[in-house]
Amino acid sequence: MIKALLSVAFALGVAGSASAQTLNMMKGIDAPHYDAQRTSWGPTSDIVNMIQDTLVALDWDGRTPIPYLAKSWTVSPDGKLYTFKLRDDVTFCSGKKMTAEDVIFTFKRLKSPETKGPFAWRAGNIKDLRAPDPYTVEYELAEPFSELLLQLTMFTNAILNKDNVEALGKDYGVKGADGTGPWCLDSWQPRTNITLKRHDAYKWGSSMYKNKGPVKFEKMVIKIVPEDSSRVAAMMAGQFDTTHQFPTQFIAQAKVAPMLTVTEAKPNFQLLYFGFKTTRPMVADKRVREAMSIAIDRAAIARAILLGNADPAFTIVDPAALDHDPRTAGIVKQDVERARKLLDEAGWKPGVDGIREKDGVKLAPRVYYTANANSARVAEAIQGYLRKIGVHWNLQPWDSTIASVKMAEQDYEIWSVTVPYLSAGDLMNIYFDSANIPTPNRMNWKDAETDNWLKQGRAALTPEDRTKFYAMVQQKVMTEHLWMPVLNINMHEVTNKKLKGMRPHMIYQNTFYKGLDAGL
Amino acid sequence: MSVEALGSPTLEAAPVGRSHVLRRLMRDKVAATATVVLTLVVLAAIFAPVLAPYDPYFTDLTIVMQPPSAEHWFGTDNTGRDILSRVIYGTRNTLMLGLVGVLIGGLFGGFLGILAAFYPRLDGWIMRLVDVMLAFPAILIGLAVAAIFGAGLAAVVIALVVATVPDVARVARGAAVGVMGQEFMEAGRAVGVSDTTLIWRYLTLNCISTIFVFLTLRFGQIILIGSALGFLGMGAQPPTAELGMMAAQGRDFLFMAPHIATIPSLAIFVIVLAANLLGDALRDVLDPRLQQ
Repeated sequence: MIKALLSVAFALGVAGSASAQTLNMMKGIDAPHYDAQRTSWGPTSDIVNMIQDTLVALDWDGRTPIPYLAKSWTVSPDGKLYTFKLRDDVTFCSGKKMTAEDVIFTFKRLKSPETKGPFAWRAGNIKDLRAPDPYTVEYELAEPFSELLLQLTMFTNAILNKDNVEALGKDYGVKGADGTGPWCLDSWQPRTNITLKRHDAYKWGSSMYKNKGPVKFEKMVIKIVPEDSSRVAAMMAGQFDTTHQFPTQFIAQAKVAPMLTVTEAKPNFQLLYFGFKTTRPMVADKRVREAMSIAIDRAAIARAILLGNADPAFTIVDPAALDHDPRTAGIVKQDVERARKLLDEAGWKPGVDGIREKDGVKLAPRVYYTANANSARVAEAIQGYLRKIGVHWNLQPWDSTIASVKMAEQDYEIWSVTVPYLSAGDLMNIYFDSANIPTPNRMNWKDAETDNWLKQGRAALTPEDRTKFYAMVQQKVMTEHLWMPVLNINMHEVTNKKLKGMRPHMIYQNTFYKGLDAGL
Repeated sequence: MSVEALGSPTLEAAPVGRSHVLRRLMRDKVAATATVVLTLVVLAAIFAPVLAPYDPYFTDLTIVMQPPSAEHWFGTDNTGRDILSRVIYGTRNTLMLGLVGVLIGGLFGGFLGILAAFYPRLDGWIMRLVDVMLAFPAILIGLAVAAIFGAGLAAVVIALVVATVPDVARVARGAAVGVMGQEFMEAGRAVGVSDTTLIWRYLTLNCISTIFVFLTLRFGQIILIGSALGFLGMGAQPPTAELGMMAAQGRDFLFMAPHIATIPSLAIFVIVLAANLLGDALRDVLDPRLQQ
């Protein structure tokens, strides 16, 4: 049956091949707006990365910042003053030249309380921004920020056109968004499609791309196709050239489809974890948390539930990520007998129905997650494992429109999120700093040592110091079992075979990134 | 089919005894088959713990998505659970949803309809309320309830009840208005029978067969709506087995393991078809006008 479907799909694909001048992309979900500074939302970020640029780009290794809009930079010995030399040949889609004024405006707007930027912290604690000349920016921090350059690669720090933002006011990101990226925002029909056109003047592609610009297509049409099966059928039928949101359960089919190419982003740091709310009595005892974490077979879940499109995660930070601490490797190891023993020691005894109880309360924590396919299936598989040690996970999926609100509440014990990140510091500063209680530090983890080490890691002046302090945090949060790392989810770019030069990037699930080398 | 078209039985109608109903049902081959199928389904649901060959919640990731075999007659799902066992348990939950929806909805709807017929001054208010309720599709209500309070069986039950109440209210009112015109109602009032007695003994008991026939017809639709909500993820949550949810879980694996989605879908199809056929047959047997 599969062969027959593929044959039909191939036939349709030949019949419906896309125009050579238009790149047809498909994604599963649209964004509420395209103002990068006002969101942490992934569906905003991929479009922003196409239409706007950052001072520095992230190389393919996922850890090295390379020159982009800034052609060079220097850092003062105290780590507080960054001096960026900007390219003098960069223009926005509107034709206006990009200067230091735009860069300064961008970061001032990002830090403004009015913007309420959830990722404003990624730009460091800015003390002052100066422009000694139109193509030099002095970026002064109140305290050193060891990962500033890495963080400046993020979409949220993309450089804006001051005039465009001021002209559009509150409609910026909705009615328009000018940028220096290789693509220009042409039109947007919410939840339907986004049309980008080629930025003809673009010639400042970073060293990671062979093509420095402009892009090889006149136009890109990005259609929103929410239904997984519809995206699969559309790719198989050749209606679209590429998607980075191909359902994982169909990747095996895509790999054998004669008209498709599947490329995996490597490296790729995207952790699916379950976090414990330590202030809830049911999971306040770290023995209970550890028991749940060591009772599951991560390799089997990766193989059977994600069909091999994920790797088992035994540490919160991927071994390939910057500042991973290899000493955390043995802390989580499957051991069902030990899990039972830990629960016994914690006072949870099996009840008549096999579910453990203590003081008349069943060990049945409420587990929140967004009702997307991966989280739901993984939660269900874990639920099956935990029943065998007398724990009943009370699963509560939430629609993506309400999940973040629900997870900000306090009446549940466990939640799950899939989080893309850049480095150990990137991941841990967001989630484990007590300043971020109640969200994203949903564990309500308030620990002076953790806060201090995170601060020292952030302020480190040498890579060695940064690695040392971030390693201490990893040791702490892993031995406390604040999270239950489960899988590192693979990310794929699925493209029509006629499309060449598609190397998926790992940054924030934006595999297409700039797409400069994509062509027929 | 118009809900009003069921009309109202009156005391003049020929008496319909239980044995007579059964005899007439069994004479109709389609109705007899539907009765047998539905009886078997109900028995399977009642005796699920005895009949299910495996624990429906037991996962085994080493045997995921296995096709039907001698060991697992309906195969296994994406977490290695036995689908036959889950279908048996799922049938139980699906039938329960239908039953609860029909009973609670029938109770409220019947009460409202009879009140509207008995107290003319309430008629307009109740019927406008019913019109408002009819304006909300059950699926939309289920989605709204699930979005606010979280997905679960409660959301489905609320949606099913809200979907049932207005239709039943209209049917009950239609039946009750007919009974209200009968002489024995006037006689009851003349001899000073209380409103409560009139409503219960004179009115309700004479409308019950109409409401019952309507509810049997409605049962299949309610199961379908409940399964649709389960399919959309608004109903039972794992590991609870529910046929709509099971079909949804299998949807992602249609290419690789079509049995995961098709078997629970077939089970829904069989239950709904049997319920509808039986409902039609019961209407034929119990509706006095059709008998005449």
